[in-house]
Amino acid sequence: MSDVARPMRRLLRIPPVPLAILVGVVLGGLLVLVSGGNPVEAYAAIVTGSLAWDSLPNTLNWAVPLVGMTLVAAIPLRGGMINLGGDGQMVIGGLVAALVPLYLPGPGPLLIVVAILAAMVASGLYATIAAWGETRHGIPMLISSLLLSYPAIGICSYVVGFPLRDTTTGLAQTPMIPEAARLPVLSGPLNAGLLVMLVVAVLVVLYDRFTVGGYELRMRGLNARFAGYGGVPLARQMTGVMFASGAIAGLVGALIVLGSQFRFQDGALLSPGYTWSGLMAALLAGGEPLGAILAGAFFAALQTGGFAMQRETSIPRVLTMVLQSIIILFLAIRHGVGRRRETR
Amino acid sequence: MTAGPVVTPVAELEARGIVKRYGPLVANDRVDLVVARGEVHAVMGENGAGKSTLMSILYGLQQPDAGEILMRGRRVEYRSALDAIAEGMGMVHQAFKLFNSLTVWENVVYGMEPSRHGLIDRRAAIERVGEIAARYRLAVDPTVVVGSLSVGVRQRVEILKALYRDAQILILDEPTAVLTPQERDGLFDVIRHLAADGRTILFVTHKLHEVMTITDRVTVLRDGRVVERMVTAETSPREIIRAMTGRAVNLKVEKAPASPGAPVLVADDLTVLSDDGRPLVDRASLTVRGGEIVGIAGVAGNGQTELIEALAGLRQPFRGRVSIAGQDVTAAGVDAHRVAGLAYIPEDRAVTGTARAASAADNLAMGFHRHPPLARGGLLDGRALAAEARAMIARFGIKIGSEKLAVGTLSGGNLQKVVVARELTHRAPLLIAEQPTRGVDVGAIEFIHSELVAERDRGAAVLLVSAELSEILALADRILVMYEGRILAEVDAATATEEALGLLMAGRVQEAA
Repeated sequence: MSDVARPMRRLLRIPPVPLAILVGVVLGGLLVLVSGGNPVEAYAAIVTGSLAWDSLPNTLNWAVPLVGMTLVAAIPLRGGMINLGGDGQMVIGGLVAALVPLYLPGPGPLLIVVAILAAMVASGLYATIAAWGETRHGIPMLISSLLLSYPAIGICSYVVGFPLRDTTTGLAQTPMIPEAARLPVLSGPLNAGLLVMLVVAVLVVLYDRFTVGGYELRMRGLNARFAGYGGVPLARQMTGVMFASGAIAGLVGALIVLGSQFRFQDGALLSPGYTWSGLMAALLAGGEPLGAILAGAFFAALQTGGFAMQRETSIPRVLTMVLQSIIILFLAIRHGVGRRRETR
Repeated sequence: MTAGPVVTPVAELEARGIVKRYGPLVANDRVDLVVARGEVHAVMGENGAGKSTLMSILYGLQQPDAGEILMRGRRVEYRSALDAIAEGMGMVHQAFKLFNSLTVWENVVYGMEPSRHGLIDRRAAIERVGEIAARYRLAVDPTVVVGSLSVGVRQRVEILKALYRDAQILILDEPTAVLTPQERDGLFDVIRHLAADGRTILFVTHKLHEVMTITDRVTVLRDGRVVERMVTAETSPREIIRAMTGRAVNLKVEKAPASPGAPVLVADDLTVLSDDGRPLVDRASLTVRGGEIVGIAGVAGNGQTELIEALAGLRQPFRGRVSIAGQDVTAAGVDAHRVAGLAYIPEDRAVTGTARAASAADNLAMGFHRHPPLARGGLLDGRALAAEARAMIARFGIKIGSEKLAVGTLSGGNLQKVVVARELTHRAPLLIAEQPTRGVDVGAIEFIHSELVAERDRGAAVLLVSAELSEILALADRILVMYEGRILAEVDAATATEEALGLLMAGRVQEAA
């Protein structure tokens, strides 16, 4: 190995995730510098805009769906599977959660619970179609989960665009859901959705660590053949994993609709791109749930900070997306380099 | 240099001292290979003996760590298969590399299309492909879509592809594995024509009768080394088997006579089909009783792997029944087999038997992780897992620092001990042991052998599959011989001789009797 490579090797000894973040921050800073901005100012704006006391609630509100969608990606990824259909599953959940309180009678709190559960079941079942396609017909789930997303989005768009449209507005959206069926407010902009997501996140981590199912999923991710040989029913497991993953996507849709938007509006759930940020966060942690949750929260802070930075400096918030991408890219490169060394 | 004819003919292909390492594994250890022009040369060896590695080096797919390759006496260095092809190498892989939606001629000329005015000259291509096909009696219509062809014909397309690139040396990697007997005879005809035309064939296989039928010379690999070079006409299947499986160490296992009890594993009329419907296991019936070791002998690739997969629940049989300890588990998954009483040491410890990146504790729990004492009510007992793992590590002498460490860095013998420890600890009524000592050192072999006998003596039914005759003879009480998917014969181990078994393994029942 040449002398030039030596400092490189020392750098590679830093744990991969902090190193990737460091590289992202440095390259992003250079980018700001080149385009005539002040990187220190930009990063200060991001930090205060996401973590300062009065901006923290915004970050948390952004983190609830993003962490949720991170789990949607992380749960299958833990077992070496990929669910790219989060968008469609989230939209189904959002629509179902809006329709339940609009069209079912009953007391508000009960409606909330029923709406959330119905959203989770609907999205979970929808997600299992992709698993069924792979276990029964050999259609790769990677592709089918993504493709199944589009009809789901399209159908939901049609439903609120025509038969169930709020006729008092010109937009493709449902009427507002009654106030009694909205998620209770905790304080200021925070609502009970935060607590629900917190509980779900804790449950996922506990399941991963302490249950037979969590062990089997982990082993599948490390060597699926080994898991099958040990008696893990791979097909049933895939179906169960996709149901859980889809159900959480449905939950995310429901929490947004019941907690902040109070109606299902065509496109409103998808425009922030939670699914893809979540997928990146899950990849960042290699599917390990706790790491994925932290990565998801980190991305949420980054993105919330990005909005603040855009408001306060002349630097567009796209910078935070660039940061995110550099981090993931760098991790992917490192992974490749590490692998190649192993085979030599 | 005009003093007369050259006395020593230059070898068409020569490999000298080829070394290839994968981490700690030496796949090829100073391999020498000499192949003359126009000969059909068999490269034989068990799975993992290093045949495939050697072939991919000769075909430029991999670069050797040491050693050199000479083509007609001239040293060559391949950076990729393209270099090898330019030197006249051709290879037909086990899994065909064809575009199923394209026609035969499109597949054949792909990458080397004859062109006119920058466009593919379709007529010339079809003509050329037809010519080659006719010349070597490869009956293929160049205009047919590949996807509609049978496996045997697709293989001819692969051969055509190599010949179109003017391959002088053709590597056929287990070419008959996918063929029916009739297709195989057709392939042999083609091979004879090619050899008569001065082309050289490297025939990779572990099927003995094919080697005896079609080849001129044989090079046998074992554990990455060349152990024997033979002229086919002067050798016998038995000698080849000995070269492939023999081991320098004389294995003696102390064991008392068996006292078989009730049947534990019963398989009845079991048939397993390949994806394209050929029988891999052909109406096999067998019974293993408690307190006995039944050995399955056979040259690798005669259906043993598929039989075991069907018995363990990893593969659905097409026909027949399997029961373990009286429970019918034919249609059930692996877990039901495990619950009924199966413990199973699989053939390949790295691919199937362990997860490299997982900890020793996780590896040692697999298969027994759903039931007490390791789990209760769906919750894994981490403390029990760790305690069991530590006990197994101590009892089986697994050289690992802690049960929390990943097993990926363990040597082959130690990794095998992880598998053996896990499968023996739970005292299952049935143990299937598949190649339990392949690639492990002598000490580990003795240890594993004595453990298998101890299993038998405590009353377990043991089914042992091994490609090594010496191992079968040392351990088994009864021996079943598999040949081309069938259980050809049952032999009492007390009276069995290596000679008779060798003939049976080669499918020659009359001579063995």
